[in-house]
Amino acid sequence: MVNTLVDTDIQHTELTAQSHVMKTQAILPYDKKNDRPLFMVLVILAFLATITLLATASGYRAAVGWQENLQGKLTVQIKPTISGADKITHNTADKAERAKIILAELDQVKTVTILPDEHSKALLEPWLGDASIPDDLPLPILLDVQLNSSQNLEVKQAAILLAEAGIRADIDDHSQWNKEIKRTTSAALLLSYLALGLIIIASVAASIFATRAGLTAQRRLMDVLHQVGAPPDYTARLLSTRFATSGFKAGALGAASALLASVLVGMMFSTSNGFSYFLPGLHLSLTDIYLVIAVPSFLALIIAITSWRTVIKTLYNEIYP
Amino acid sequence: MHINISQQIPNAETSAKSSTQSDANIHFERVGFRYDREGEILSDINFSLPPGSMTFIIGPSGAGKSTLLKLIYLNMRQSRGHITLFGRDTSQIDRKEIPALKRRMGIVLQDFRLIDHLSVFENVALPLRVAGRKRADYKDDVLGLLKWVGLGHRSHALPPTLSGGEKQRAAIARAVITKPDILIADEPTGNVDSDMGRRLIRLFTELNRLGTTTIIATHNTTLIPEDANILSIEHGQVTGTISGEHIG
Repeated sequence: MVNTLVDTDIQHTELTAQSHVMKTQAILPYDKKNDRPLFMVLVILAFLATITLLATASGYRAAVGWQENLQGKLTVQIKPTISGADKITHNTADKAERAKIILAELDQVKTVTILPDEHSKALLEPWLGDASIPDDLPLPILLDVQLNSSQNLEVKQAAILLAEAGIRADIDDHSQWNKEIKRTTSAALLLSYLALGLIIIASVAASIFATRAGLTAQRRLMDVLHQVGAPPDYTARLLSTRFATSGFKAGALGAASALLASVLVGMMFSTSNGFSYFLPGLHLSLTDIYLVIAVPSFLALIIAITSWRTVIKTLYNEIYP
Repeated sequence: MHINISQQIPNAETSAKSSTQSDANIHFERVGFRYDREGEILSDINFSLPPGSMTFIIGPSGAGKSTLLKLIYLNMRQSRGHITLFGRDTSQIDRKEIPALKRRMGIVLQDFRLIDHLSVFENVALPLRVAGRKRADYKDDVLGLLKWVGLGHRSHALPPTLSGGEKQRAAIARAVITKPDILIADEPTGNVDSDMGRRLIRLFTELNRLGTTTIIATHNTTLIPEDANILSIEHGQVTGTISGEHIG
């Protein structure tokens, strides 16, 4: 190119342009006003996703904990017989001792412990309240049987052995309770996956909507890029990077808010024994932290892919002949 | 009617560009264009423009000038006939190839199409950024070109602060920064006064002298240099040609 002005009659004071040309400007800068609604929607979606993930992880851990706690254990209940009160107490305690000896001799059994009366009384508390329980009230005696790991003792087998020794006992291997926990956990997990699925669909829909709105708002820029020979993937990269960055920031804010809310709610409602009323208390683990960190990245990835596809589709449908 | 300007107008002095430009001829053969089921906006268009030529397309508003240009710069496809561009039949060009072909063309439109949030420098540098060039590689070229079109002192300015003439010169600078084989301008003087219009036409003439095939659509015939090729269009049909001499 020649180094002379074509319009020689135009007198311009030519400044040293180098000093005025600053760093490269963004072709598609962040537009606070137009991007804010999408940003808020994404913050809310990230918040909901994180809460759902934390609740799911916490509930799953509690269920697994319960199951592990109950597996490998039997509870034997030696019931008092109905006759004279003094005799009853003596006979029940004697039966409990004999039952302990019989069960301890089995290969599958690791330990047998006769639980103190307080345990039996505690079981009556929901019905009798704090009122003191009379000493002469016939109470069953509970035996806690710990099995050797990876060994199983059939309830029926133990019951027969005790019955042969003249001991009337109820034996509970907690299998029914475990089944209930499994069923409840599965239902909760299913609901969580459903909620997460809906959140992902909402994120995709929000991203498509925002990309289309962005394309409409930036139509002139798209036309100029097409005019100067920008390939569709160049234009798509501009928009998807912008939206993905916005999604990551919104995701980080939403996830952090959810984490904070979870901790605060956990602190407000937890009791000294680690339970929130009848539910297990919320205890954060390292996995939870990983989940919280993953939310913004995952959200950004969903938005990047969705907006990329939307831009390419729109460009080919509306701009490229 | 078939008009072969290349046969009528020897343009020997316009071969300043290298052999890469040799396929920059534009050939229309019985080209027609219509939107959906409407009547033809262009019909039976035939002409050939050789590499390095400078041609003005004239005609009243609505004659089909812009549509004709859009077919050349691949913003639309013809409904029938054949258009040869860069040695290829455009109907056979896959749309994925269009960006690469567009980078061999510079396009100037009446409404400038500058990006308001980018400085004049960044607007002019846009085709180079899109082509993946590094800023350090193109900075001097852009500043040199801005100086050449008389915008050296405005490189930092944003388009809304420019006058109509400045905007159009910035748009022209952007169109030619990649040293295109073909320069297409649609009513480039439409939004400027007649004095600036004459200056812009001189600018196009200078660019054509460097070997760029130049096609300008205008309804203002007073600005056309005496020695220019003219393609006249009315009601979507070529109605005549005036052949200039030795452009460039």
